[in-house]
Amino acid sequence: MTEILPAEGVFSLLWVLIALPAAGALILLLGGRRTNTWGPYLGILTVVGSAVIAVLMLLAMMAEPAEQRTVIQNVYDWVFVGSFQVSFALQLDQLSIVFVLLITLVGALIFIYSLGYMAHDPDRRKFFAYLNLFVAAMLLLVLANNYLLLYVGWEGVGLASYLLIGFWQRKPTAAAAAKKAFVINRVGDVGLSVAIMLIFVTFGSVTFQDVFGQVGEANEGTLTAIGLLLLLAAAGKSAQFPLQAWLLDAMEGPTPVSALIHAATMVTAGVYLIARSNAIYNAATWAATAVVVVGLITIFMGAIIGSAKDDIKKSLAGSTMSQIGYMVFAAGLGPIGYVFAIFHLLTHGVFKAGLFLGAGSVMHGMNDGVNMRRYGALKGVMVITFITFMAGYLAIIGIPPFSGFWSKDEIIHAAFERNSIIGAAAILAAGITGFYMTRMVAMTFFGKKRWEDDVHPHESPKVMTIPLIILAIGSTFMGMALLFWGNIEYWLEPVVGYESVPTPLPTWVYIVVTLVVVIIGAIIGWVTYARKDVPIEAPRGNLLTRAARQDLYGDAINDVLVVEPTYKSAHALTTFDNKAVDGFVTWTASFVGDLSKRLRRSQTGFARSYALSMVGGAIILLVALILVRLS
Amino acid sequence: MNPANYILLSALLFSIGAIGVLVRRNAIIVFMSVELMLNSANLAFVAFARMNGNLDGQVVAFFVMVVAAAEVVVGLAIIVTIFRTRRSASIDEPNLLKY
Amino acid sequence: MNFTPPAIDYFALSPMIVIFAAAIVSVLVEAFAPRTIRRFLQLLIVFGALLTSAVLIVLNAGTRTVTGGGAVVIDGPALVMMGTIVVLSILGAALMAERSIDPVGDSFAARASSLPGSEDERQLTQRGYLQTEIWPLTLFAVLGMLLFVTANNLLLMFVALEIISLPLYLMTGMARRRRLLSQEASLKYFLLGVFASAFYLYGAALVYGYSGSIFFPEIAQSLTSKPSESIVVFIGMGMLIIGPLFKIGAVPFHQWVPDVYQGAPTAVVGFMAATVKVAAFGALLRILYVAFGGVRWDWDPLIWIVAVASMILGSIVALLQTDIKRLLGYSWIAQAGFILVGLAAASPAGLESTMFYVIAYGFATVGTFAVISMVRDANGEATNLAAWAGIGRKSPLVASALSLFLLGLAGIPLTSGFVSKFAVFVAAIEAGATWLVIIGVIASLIAAFFYVRIVVIMFFAEPTEQTASVVVPSAFTTISLSAGVAVTLILGIFPQPVLDMLSNAGLFLR
Repeated sequence: MTEILPAEGVFSLLWVLIALPAAGALILLLGGRRTNTWGPYLGILTVVGSAVIAVLMLLAMMAEPAEQRTVIQNVYDWVFVGSFQVSFALQLDQLSIVFVLLITLVGALIFIYSLGYMAHDPDRRKFFAYLNLFVAAMLLLVLANNYLLLYVGWEGVGLASYLLIGFWQRKPTAAAAAKKAFVINRVGDVGLSVAIMLIFVTFGSVTFQDVFGQVGEANEGTLTAIGLLLLLAAAGKSAQFPLQAWLLDAMEGPTPVSALIHAATMVTAGVYLIARSNAIYNAATWAATAVVVVGLITIFMGAIIGSAKDDIKKSLAGSTMSQIGYMVFAAGLGPIGYVFAIFHLLTHGVFKAGLFLGAGSVMHGMNDGVNMRRYGALKGVMVITFITFMAGYLAIIGIPPFSGFWSKDEIIHAAFERNSIIGAAAILAAGITGFYMTRMVAMTFFGKKRWEDDVHPHESPKVMTIPLIILAIGSTFMGMALLFWGNIEYWLEPVVGYESVPTPLPTWVYIVVTLVVVIIGAIIGWVTYARKDVPIEAPRGNLLTRAARQDLYGDAINDVLVVEPTYKSAHALTTFDNKAVDGFVTWTASFVGDLSKRLRRSQTGFARSYALSMVGGAIILLVALILVRLS
Repeated sequence: MNPANYILLSALLFSIGAIGVLVRRNAIIVFMSVELMLNSANLAFVAFARMNGNLDGQVVAFFVMVVAAAEVVVGLAIIVTIFRTRRSASIDEPNLLKY
Repeated sequence: MNFTPPAIDYFALSPMIVIFAAAIVSVLVEAFAPRTIRRFLQLLIVFGALLTSAVLIVLNAGTRTVTGGGAVVIDGPALVMMGTIVVLSILGAALMAERSIDPVGDSFAARASSLPGSEDERQLTQRGYLQTEIWPLTLFAVLGMLLFVTANNLLLMFVALEIISLPLYLMTGMARRRRLLSQEASLKYFLLGVFASAFYLYGAALVYGYSGSIFFPEIAQSLTSKPSESIVVFIGMGMLIIGPLFKIGAVPFHQWVPDVYQGAPTAVVGFMAATVKVAAFGALLRILYVAFGGVRWDWDPLIWIVAVASMILGSIVALLQTDIKRLLGYSWIAQAGFILVGLAAASPAGLESTMFYVIAYGFATVGTFAVISMVRDANGEATNLAAWAGIGRKSPLVASALSLFLLGLAGIPLTSGFVSKFAVFVAAIEAGATWLVIIGVIASLIAAFFYVRIVVIMFFAEPTEQTASVVVPSAFTTISLSAGVAVTLILGIFPQPVLDMLSNAGLFLR
């Protein structure tokens, strides 16, 4: 049984973790232009400070036995009204510490990289302020000890993401992308807020301990509803089907943002939410199955989109969707999968950040061009970028001993523990990953030069390459380190649970099959894009390619299902409101007799039509009142 | 005479007033219709006071008269201003504010 | 029948007496004081009276009494509402006192009776003639609101309703610019307002007829003691609550709201949007919880219908608005719906959350209109959203403040709006109205669109030639604006002291 300890020693600094970047954001935003020169450095310093504290906490935590690693710090009582009580309380346990480390360490690297990447941007200070805001909100999200506080962080990262996607406001596409991300995320947020209310009403509390402690007492229907609502929230934040459309457009933001927020951390918040709520999903099988289905659909959607895009960042975004699909999929498998979902989340956070920063480095040398058809043969020009990108590449497609191999392999294995068909699907998707990533590498670094005339590629400055190198080292060794040295599954077990069931075939068979499929995919990619010349103009492509270039019609579907009806009903209601006479005349005809005819003939005066709607409304209300009374 | 008849009469007056508001265009007459509604309420109050055997209703009626007088002052001021601006007391005419 | 003069607890009534006395003095000043010192005297009286009243309300914090022959009840919720009204009135009055924004002077017509565009008006403007008759009207309106939330019988409530309304009808028609719109808004507000009052009054007559009393506690008693076959009392109740519902701007009694918001002077809208809503909800709560608390199941469906209609209609119609004041009018309608969700809970939690919501809403609203009054172009206030494009680049501080208010109204966490919306929805779920909350959440999703749309326009759109400029105001508006920002943030981050105060305030005295 897990004990809950008060925050003492180094853990008493828990609130500082969040306060540091928050203070940084505040100073940078309020300080205005005065902070232009030293502001970015202050931003980096606050995140590095948080990272150092986080590492100290990890060490302190490792010194404790497994049952005594949950620490709660009550900062202050936030809302206490009647039976509804929520504290501003932070909780650090094995699950949140790994997130804190990912956010602060990868965050710090990306901050340093941004120093070079945004060197010439006039709004660099604001950029760092928003990034700081993001880090603070994300830390709040993973450190909250109750759903309501988590929701605050959830909205906070959404806001920061919105500000950063639209950071280059002068580009109308960026502003539109920001708006889209906001709107789609709000749909997910509705799910979360209703889920929280339902949780409160069911359990009488919103803290994790109380809720998970009482899961056994709730009926399964309620739990399923909560699980599905949380899934909706996770889908919005983590760009899962059917709320995936915003992530591709989000690439309009600066590349470090794509790396930090839209690859490594924020988009994994959905996975965190599901893993954190494991007790609910364990008790609600239907909801868990829905999680698996959503994950599986997204794995393929992301992979297909990633295979068709010529924009290097959008292709990577498709890949992010797909990889997060893996995590969601694993989380839906139940106790056999949670730990590996988190494991893959960590390795992915590192190697995908490396890939994005690598892509940023390439763009930096190519005058911000993103079209891979205008790249080619860059391996000689950008040696460090190339080598580090290859480390990320090998990690994502899952070649041993790179980190992605270990985590993805565990997920595939867990899938087979549950059901061979979904396991096979996961292997197939791994093959597609091999294809599109090879395509990307081939088009970018190999083949012939297809550069535009005035482009002179060059390696990026050290401030950008050093983070790349560190992330590449992480992409290479982190999987092994976590699995063999860190025993990640037993580290996380007290929080999310872990069990393993035997599979029909020995483990090595799955590993070999997966590797073979991945290599076949990679070879197809290599043959198509490195051995043959890549046309500068994209060929028309087959039906699937064309669909994928349109993000599998995600926007079109949203338009038809959501946007159009909303606008239509708005128009209809405006008309209704103003021509209330026509509307109400029919309603009140039986009450005011022949009045209707005279009114129709009479000139429509607005003050009088308002009065008519008041009378009509009053009559309706009174009739309703009488009906209730009589029934 | 049965006091209930007064209640019926007051309901009738109230309805007439309400319909007057809805169908008449002249602001003054609309306003008078509202006054009719207030007075129908007064009638009801007084009749109910008689039926209930206490004076509360009659007191209310006095207050309502005073309030109605104040309302007339404000109302006529507004209507006259509009009339001077637009040279018309039709309440259908001012409709710049819409949608 | 012997006449015994009612015992009156003058100290408990002192917050109102001060305002009333000040209003009378204010009228006299208007009549007799020389023009040169009139403004000074009026401001002294208004702010002095409001501050004194606020202090007296605080001193009365422990008072729980029924006085004035049972007509006035001073209890916890009433004191909270009174305090809120008075504080919001101070902020609203500060907006009206502003004279640095408009190059001509203030935002009120030099002489409300002069013809728009006439020679008379032109001369008055040229001579810099500024009027101060807005102040006695303001004081009377505040007095009405204080009485509205403390009224314990149908008669006083009616009188209070009229004392609120009559000054507001006039104040609506006093805009210096766009006078045709202002006068039209005034006319519509007046005619529809008295129409609604008539419904209230007739409803009151029916309720009196049934229960034999105009006092709320006795009405409640008669509903439980008498066999309640009579439909009449329920028709009476339905007509009765039309009065407060009209003031709240709930559908289907909402149509005056956007017109008045658009037409009335911005400072007046800021004042009345914040305060009247508090007062009207206070009155509605008292009618429903005290007089009709025993028949909750009869009025609940009615409130549901109104709440759903308000939330949906307000949110959806606001989507396509292009005038920011009009948009906020529709947003008020939607917000009324959200608050009614809490009211429908008919529980102590419902009472607390409703009061918290109106407080949070009031401060955010005052701040919003403070900002709107500052954004101007050559023709006065630039209320068309097209003129707001890129304002965030020119004046980031003011635009950020407005964004905070709008995000607060949208219910984004760490603002007062989030806590209030959450409290209201939780109260409704506890009362078993989950479906109502789901509709509410969906409506607030739609509402978030148009609030955020303004933020987007301010920050993400390119400034054009049309873009208005932000005028630097005097201390008056600055104080209102800062108070709005502070309260919106504090109620979002540290709501606990206020929530404690509300729960200590307890329930209505019956």
